[in-house]
Amino acid sequence: MDYPTLLVQAAVNGLVIGTMYMMMAVGFTLVFGIMRVVNFAHGEFYMLGAFAAFFTYAQWELPFVVCLLIAAVTIGVLGALLERAIIQPFRSDELSGMIATLGLSVIIQNAAIVMWGPTPRSMPNVIDGVLTIGPFTFPLSRLLVIVAAALIFAAFWVFMQRTRTGRAMRAVAQDAETALIQGIRVNTIYPIAFGISVALAALAGVLMAPIFSVSPFVGLTPMLKAFVVVILGGLGSVPGAVVGGLLLGLIESFTATALGSLVADILQLLLVILILLVRPWGLLGQKEA
Amino acid sequence: MEASSASVVAKASESRGASGRKLLTRVAILATLAAALAAPQLTTNQFYLHIANLALLNAIFTMSLGLIAAVGQLSLGHAAFAAAGAYISALGALQLKIPPIFGIAIAGLAMGVVAAVLGTILLRLRGVYFVLVTFLAGQVCTLIALNWESVTRGANGLVGIPPISIFGYALSSRLQFYYFALAAFVAVFAFIWALMRSQYGRAFRSIAENMQLAESSGIDTSRYQVVAFALGSGIAGAGGAAMAHYIRYISPDTFTFHESIAYITMLVVGGRQALLGAVLGAAFLTPLPEALRGFVSVQHIIYGAILLGVLLFLPGGLYSIGKLFTALMTRSEKRK
Amino acid sequence: MRKNVTAIALPLAFALSAPAAAAETLKIGAIATLSGAGTAWGMSIQGAAELAAEDVNSKGGLEVAGKKYTVEIVAYDDKYKAADALTAINRLIFDDRIKFVAGTVGSAPILAILPISTENRVITMTMGFTPKALSAEYKYSFRPVLPSDVFSDPQIKWVVDKLGGKRVGGLFPNDESGQQVGAANEKAYEAVGAKFVAKEFFERERVDFVPLLTRVLAQNIDIFELNGNAPQTAGLLVKQLRELGFKGPIIRTGGDATADIVKVAGKAATENVYVHQPIDLASPAIQQYQKRFEDKYKIPLNAFSPFFHANMHMLFEAMRKSGTVTDTDKVREAMLSLKDFDTVLGKVSWTGQEQWKSNQQLDAPFYVAVIKDGQPVVVAKCTPAKCQ
Repeated sequence: MDYPTLLVQAAVNGLVIGTMYMMMAVGFTLVFGIMRVVNFAHGEFYMLGAFAAFFTYAQWELPFVVCLLIAAVTIGVLGALLERAIIQPFRSDELSGMIATLGLSVIIQNAAIVMWGPTPRSMPNVIDGVLTIGPFTFPLSRLLVIVAAALIFAAFWVFMQRTRTGRAMRAVAQDAETALIQGIRVNTIYPIAFGISVALAALAGVLMAPIFSVSPFVGLTPMLKAFVVVILGGLGSVPGAVVGGLLLGLIESFTATALGSLVADILQLLLVILILLVRPWGLLGQKEA
Repeated sequence: MEASSASVVAKASESRGASGRKLLTRVAILATLAAALAAPQLTTNQFYLHIANLALLNAIFTMSLGLIAAVGQLSLGHAAFAAAGAYISALGALQLKIPPIFGIAIAGLAMGVVAAVLGTILLRLRGVYFVLVTFLAGQVCTLIALNWESVTRGANGLVGIPPISIFGYALSSRLQFYYFALAAFVAVFAFIWALMRSQYGRAFRSIAENMQLAESSGIDTSRYQVVAFALGSGIAGAGGAAMAHYIRYISPDTFTFHESIAYITMLVVGGRQALLGAVLGAAFLTPLPEALRGFVSVQHIIYGAILLGVLLFLPGGLYSIGKLFTALMTRSEKRK
Repeated sequence: MRKNVTAIALPLAFALSAPAAAAETLKIGAIATLSGAGTAWGMSIQGAAELAAEDVNSKGGLEVAGKKYTVEIVAYDDKYKAADALTAINRLIFDDRIKFVAGTVGSAPILAILPISTENRVITMTMGFTPKALSAEYKYSFRPVLPSDVFSDPQIKWVVDKLGGKRVGGLFPNDESGQQVGAANEKAYEAVGAKFVAKEFFERERVDFVPLLTRVLAQNIDIFELNGNAPQTAGLLVKQLRELGFKGPIIRTGGDATADIVKVAGKAATENVYVHQPIDLASPAIQQYQKRFEDKYKIPLNAFSPFFHANMHMLFEAMRKSGTVTDTDKVREAMLSLKDFDTVLGKVSWTGQEQWKSNQQLDAPFYVAVIKDGQPVVVAKCTPAKCQ
């Protein structure tokens, strides 16, 4: 394989992973921007999405689009309920809220182990086959991820910009007090925001389930990456999460391809720590008081 | 005249009550110590001894975490300091034949210094950002332990770590280690107790309550934060080293993110108080996994549920139950 | 939890159905990987132990020196991690007071527990391939499965002779197993004039191999070697390799993982993959065992299982011969004295003195197979010297 092929291959790989990171990060940063909550259980919703995909697609053999919908709706609703029950009591106490999500993540992961067992399960690809353009080979199953993620994100963007609820959410993110004065019902916005956030994570899980496998432990890595992306892009900044996600995917792909995975992992973390120390609000975030 | 004599009488009875309470406290402490020293002689059950040892070590980790929490900072990387301390002491014993008792001290000091240096940089961040950066630092630590194979032997870990030996007497059984762990626990407890009563403790509390106010009253907040962080992490490092010489094996999986979560859980469940709270939390949560031995996942669910339950319904943790108890007792005392 | 219920239900069921004579319980431990990528291997050990226990319990129990024992298996999950294996062996030895343990799966875990198990004279039966697990100092360590030290050379020689190929690439987990198997395979390839031009190490739990595989493919390899990667991982590697467009031969010179490889990668991707085949699937005894295993556990049989089943029965026979279930020195000697012992694998003996100064490696024939339409088809029979 020669350089150009290697570069293109690595770039496409990076985009595939990058779109997954982006979806995880957007949800994560949304919740932080609106509610100032660091959701340590975020990865577990990705895992729930993967299991939803396994059951609906691999076992019940429903059409893939239906599976995406089912996952998004059920897990989104679950998220909204959890917000009212567990997150809401800690609105004024960030640290306690964070610890609560830690507890939640432990419960969800182990409940999954008890219900479904720890053995990893594989899912069939949604689309088999490859797309060959000249010397480049791209598996269709991975290209699907890019396309689907782009569509999902477009839908999300329209929601945030064009609908009342979306605008209300952005208002609350900017200034919760003013939003309250304007008559926006903060108590409804919060659960909706949380529900959307975890629905995005679940969708990421659905998309990636055929590519990696499904087990109760798959949530930790995507959450780790979500942290990294969100710090890179700026806590609370959705554009930051998008740019950061794609960027991280590309960086990771190129460094792993060039230097091996062990080095790439450490470099990534060191980069993030550096950013936290030098420019904690990330590339596109707001500098906090 | 009446009023002042009444108040004198009241003060006298109050001080009698106060000194009575002090006596009670002292008796309680001595009784607990005596029980702790004698208890293991009553049972040959290795299982209980092991739990006790783990509980003592966990209490040390949790108390040191509590010290850092005392300045209002939550460290999600506490286990990383334990890990680093463990590796330093283990490698010292295996490669350089440093007696473990010194290895533990060296590990503690080294981690204290490292934390002091890191702290000056990291503690600029507060709240969420600090939590995130400690989390990431912990991940980096695990990665280094995994990949620096020439030193740490990577995922394979270090086997055959020698036990602690004092004047040639090796602490190789669980019972022998128990006394060492108990002594270490008492030492750490006493140290933190004294620290919290000193000017440091007062400074810590005011920083935790309102940092800006503390700054404006002239307290050098960054210095005190670094001190808390360095001491807490140093103790964790020593604790990790002690653990390494007890289990006689260490790998990157011994102290991970999950352990950091466990210490936070113990602290919160105990009541976020660096002394009794930490001890209560560790004492309560350490035996739990053993009681549910065959059902590891259920055990974790219960852990998580207890954490959530405490956060939602008993924010003061087990410590607050204790306080409630003593409040009730003193109230009934006053009525007499 | 599946494993615990079985451990309780089984002896309970047999205790209830046993005749009036009170049977004592003989507990045998199992440290197996029951979660993560290596679960297939862990279940193969636990299943073998439980089936062997069933074998004796259904006949009224294990009779040793006039007493009857109901065999109970106590299993713990070590997650393929040495630290967890250590916790497990501590529990087994000190809390459950067990003297016989089936496990571990991995090399790093067995090396971590051998100091303790040897000090406490506990007999262990490991799946770990590392040559360090068998040595004169680890008197109580047995290995029922054949390690790559034994089968790498003949298999690789045979396959490379058949297919040609000079440039080999492979991915290895970053621990003792990966390092040892990798070293054994590398040596074997060099002996036949091929060279490992691309060797990448990764963290054991990783699932995304595309960047690493891209790196490997960039070296223009002829052959991809799956070596000893865990079943799930091996499957993902094959799947991702084919997705990246690699059409060359894939060889598995490592422990059995065929069923999982096919399950994860699918029939199309795994067509013509060469694998190390430890058992003869055509033998009636094996087929019967396979049916029993798959009926009970609802997962495909991993070929390592019959080896542990055989070892368990040898253990039982050793107990009978030596007349004790507690003196492990006597049991060990009795077990080593068994020659041409009849098991589901056929007749087996012990070997290994020359190679490792420890005669505690089970000796059995092995094969090379090719995956056709999702099933391994034997194409060569092997001895440590050669395959044909």
